[in-house]
Amino acid sequence: MNDLRRGLSVALAIARKDAISELRGRQAAGSTIFFAALVLLLFGFALGPDSQRLALAAPGLLWLAIVFGGLLTMARLHQLEADDGAFEQLALYPVDRRAIYAGKALAGAAAMLVLGGLLLPVVAILYGVPIGGAWLPLLGAVVLGAIGFAAVGTAYAGLTIRMRAREVMLPLLMLPIVAPLLLAAVKATVASLGGDPLGELGSWLQLLVAFDVIMLVVGAGTYGFLLED
Amino acid sequence: MKTRVLGFVAVAAVIGASINGLFVVPADMNQGDAQRIMYVHVASAWIAYASFGVTALAGLGYLVWRDLRLDALALAGAEVGVIFTAFAIWGGMMWGRPVWGVYWQWEDPRLTTTALLLALYIGYLLLRRLTDDPARRAARAAVVGLIAAVDIPIVHFSVIWWRGLHQTPTFGDPSKVLNPSAPLQFVLALLGMLSAFTLVWIYLLIRRYQLARLDWRLEDAARRGRVAAAHGSAMGAASVEEPAR
Amino acid sequence: MTNLGFIVAAYGVILGGLGLYVAYLLRRLGIARGASRGLGGDVDEAP
Repeated sequence: MNDLRRGLSVALAIARKDAISELRGRQAAGSTIFFAALVLLLFGFALGPDSQRLALAAPGLLWLAIVFGGLLTMARLHQLEADDGAFEQLALYPVDRRAIYAGKALAGAAAMLVLGGLLLPVVAILYGVPIGGAWLPLLGAVVLGAIGFAAVGTAYAGLTIRMRAREVMLPLLMLPIVAPLLLAAVKATVASLGGDPLGELGSWLQLLVAFDVIMLVVGAGTYGFLLED
Repeated sequence: MKTRVLGFVAVAAVIGASINGLFVVPADMNQGDAQRIMYVHVASAWIAYASFGVTALAGLGYLVWRDLRLDALALAGAEVGVIFTAFAIWGGMMWGRPVWGVYWQWEDPRLTTTALLLALYIGYLLLRRLTDDPARRAARAAVVGLIAAVDIPIVHFSVIWWRGLHQTPTFGDPSKVLNPSAPLQFVLALLGMLSAFTLVWIYLLIRRYQLARLDWRLEDAARRGRVAAAHGSAMGAASVEEPAR
Repeated sequence: MTNLGFIVAAYGVILGGLGLYVAYLLRRLGIARGASRGLGGDVDEAP
């Protein structure tokens, strides 16, 4: 029980540290959010100007923007440690690797949640999608998507951040893995916005939960091996 | 020596199964001769997934026991697997065009899942290629292999549900050949091809494993500067300027 | 045979590809074995 408490406090400490550096981070986080909004704007130019078509495409475009912004976010969250050589130091601490992972993943999920949450109104405005009463299941989808993305992203960012060609390796590894997450999140979003006529919202949210749980377990289990690098 | 025998048996088996699939087995009533492509397509796909399983398990084994031979097996599984995956997709496209009228369609869960499998494999191999230190490479590859392996079932279910509401009975189902109601000859032809491909697969795994082990010994020796001496005594060797990996 | 082209393309590429890969592997194995002949040490696999 003591180990659990210690692990939790380590995780929270790491998450707090990341949150603080995000808030102080000289607009790096803000730039990423702006980038994602820009992507949404550009999708408008690519697929418009027919507003009906854009409204239909909106859920998919929202999540694509979240994914692209998310890639930058996860990389940024590991950049600081990589630059300072902190990974090697972290590896020396006699602390449960899973706690370190949990802390980083928590920070990642929070950052993704902020990203997703801020993009919702952008989508609503740009693509004319009325959110209204659907905000609760929508938020649920964003939360679950954020957790899942951060779960894999933490492991892969930790892995790629010290590699050659790291800018391309993280997206290259992440995109195939998050395909089911993307699929499910978009479907859940569509269902939420449309009033869930086919009653499939629950299934998609369940899939997201399954993805999250599996990736968190595997991520936590393997993170230690990445630190030992 | 035993591997060489395996190789010859595998070649014979593939030739036999191909002759059977192409000339002996009758054409399908609905799909016509295009049905014959199914034998190589489905067999390739099964081997592709099995190979990925080997990569994932060998990687897991490496994380547990730190034996680089397991990493060599993982690499072999991945390289051989990516090839069979490409074959599976190619076969699927060659079958799809005559039967569906299109080379690709999003509603077939197996095609989309296999395409993602290809992407995962390629990412795995690129990751390996960009990491020089053997232990680091093995550890990173093992993690990626594991995460990718647990992703595949998730992908499978998600694309099946994805299609779920778009029941399109007009699209032929490629796995019809596995139907209980399929003619016995078709099933046997598929099983025969699968057996032949399995033999080829095992042979390729062994050879690729051996190559990996040799390459790494050379890498290792080069790192210690001994290759120059060894090179001098190798007779008529082809150019070995590349520290092959 | 109807759809002959597709069947030939399918079997041709797949079987041919397998053959090419085998040839490639055997060639690289030969080179590697030649280069490592002077290294000695244990070899943990059958030929």
